[in-house]
Amino acid sequence: MLPVRIERIVSLAPNLTEIVYAVGAGDRLVGNTDYCDYPAEAKQLAKIGDTMHPSVERIIALKPQIVLVSTASQLEAFTKQLGQQSIAVYVTNPGGLEEMFSSMTAFGEMFETSAEAARATGDLRKRSDAIATALRGVPPVSVFYQVAGEPLYTIGREAYLTDLVKRAGGISVTADVPDAFPRYSDEAALSAKPEAIILPTGGSMGNANSAVASPLRDSPAVRNNRVYKINDDFLSRPGPRLVDGLEALAHALHPEAFK
Amino acid sequence: MITQEKSANAGYATFRKAFGVCAVLLLILLIVFVAAALVGSQRLPLASTLCALTGQIDCGLSSEQRAILFDIRLPRILLAGAVGICLATAGAGYQALLRNPLAEPYLLGVSNGAAVGTMVALVFFGTREWSRPVMAFAGALAATFVVYRLARGRAGATPERLILAGVIVTTFLSSGIVFITTMMDATRIRSFTFWLLGDLSGTTSSLLAITLLAALIGVVVLALNARSLNLMMLGERDAFDLGVEVGRVRITVFVAASLLVGASVASSGSVGYVGLVVPHLVRLTFGSDNRIVIAASALAGAAFVILADTVARTIIAPRELPVGAITALIGAPLFVYLLKRR
Repeated sequence: MLPVRIERIVSLAPNLTEIVYAVGAGDRLVGNTDYCDYPAEAKQLAKIGDTMHPSVERIIALKPQIVLVSTASQLEAFTKQLGQQSIAVYVTNPGGLEEMFSSMTAFGEMFETSAEAARATGDLRKRSDAIATALRGVPPVSVFYQVAGEPLYTIGREAYLTDLVKRAGGISVTADVPDAFPRYSDEAALSAKPEAIILPTGGSMGNANSAVASPLRDSPAVRNNRVYKINDDFLSRPGPRLVDGLEALAHALHPEAFK
Repeated sequence: MITQEKSANAGYATFRKAFGVCAVLLLILLIVFVAAALVGSQRLPLASTLCALTGQIDCGLSSEQRAILFDIRLPRILLAGAVGICLATAGAGYQALLRNPLAEPYLLGVSNGAAVGTMVALVFFGTREWSRPVMAFAGALAATFVVYRLARGRAGATPERLILAGVIVTTFLSSGIVFITTMMDATRIRSFTFWLLGDLSGTTSSLLAITLLAALIGVVVLALNARSLNLMMLGERDAFDLGVEVGRVRITVFVAASLLVGASVASSGSVGYVGLVVPHLVRLTFGSDNRIVIAASALAGAAFVILADTVARTIIAPRELPVGAITALIGAPLFVYLLKRR
């Protein structure tokens, strides 16, 4: 680990930005991406581009001691350039609730805010445990999670969202499909007959993905009016608000369990 | 090389040959069409599906199976066919007109022109569906016009200059596409990458109708100019001396080909290699008389894309591949083989 206290942090992903704030190190964040919009203070920071195309020049100009990265896509050249400026790079890409908690703990240690990180993690765990308790013994609802409608994308075996849906008392009808976000066949979607459909939309997605894809329009979910729009920022960013996503999913799928 | 047939007898022979070629290809297309309708990510009962395809109502298919067959599978197969007709025929037209075997909608930048048009339509008039084919046609036409103007030297447009101009326009438009994608949000980029590689799913009936109509118009117009194109393959000057209105034919072919490319790109993105491989196969098999090549390319192109899309939607079911990946996968090695064999 680094020998000195970290005072200047740059985050290259919205979920990592949210984790930094959650563990109480937000005041030491000096730069983040165009998409980092939560909490509100994050919007005021210097912007370095987006996750996939960060501006190395701007990052260096911000003189961070550490850069938090969620994707390894351009890591090699990128790390080398930052290394030459004695800037450390920390890669973490939490895949799901448990890994997100681990990232929070790791950030707490790294930024020397372990107590606050533990408190925040504990609160979030309590909320997710409460969901588990409320749903104990409740039969699961079959769910189609529509990542995008045209063309149709869903969640597959490797997506942490498949696990999140399960924790929320659902069972994704595409849980066994290989890949994290498979391009899904229209025919298979028509045959899937989910009891509920989740549309992640809103937040930084705007009103994209707010309509059910055409092969699903005759599904039991649509006929029984069980289509739920959930803020995509809760679900697609594996950060502290994943628990908000879990709660929203659970309340949508099992309103009877939360009366 | 083309030999000029003057006697009525020779004309009749060509007609008979064209008729025979088309009959054979039509039969192949029919077989491919039925085979494609029988397979998909969901298994349908064979006998009942065949029965339903003949138009009978009571074949024992459940309403869900009917929906899969008639609302999802058949429209997609029809679109694949229309796109195949468009791209293969446009390729045949460009190759004859430019006397260049490499002339192809993609290499000339016409497809990219149509893609930029479609993207502009999506960004600025997202909700109006008709704007996509219209803008794609405009984009294709503009790209064709620019390429042709760039290619025109003092000695007229040589085939070499034209291809070079096409490469320049293609690269320019490619950066345009990259620029437009950076202005979009992440979720739309994902659908766009899929679309750019060619995607035949999720078509609407109006887009399908527009593509079929454009295919019909384009093929008829090109077929009507096939004889002039034959003469122009001897050289534009010779053709002019033989009474061909070279300028008029050129404009007509460019507009018709742009219409074909525009319609196909607007409905399904960029499906590569079709315009290159299909006319080549056709010429190798049936000779290079454009009166045969254009009609045969249309039918063979339809069969080729339907076949490729059937692979794309079944090979890793219930997931899908973009059809453009399959056409390139089949097209590129086939093309190399054909070149080597000659």
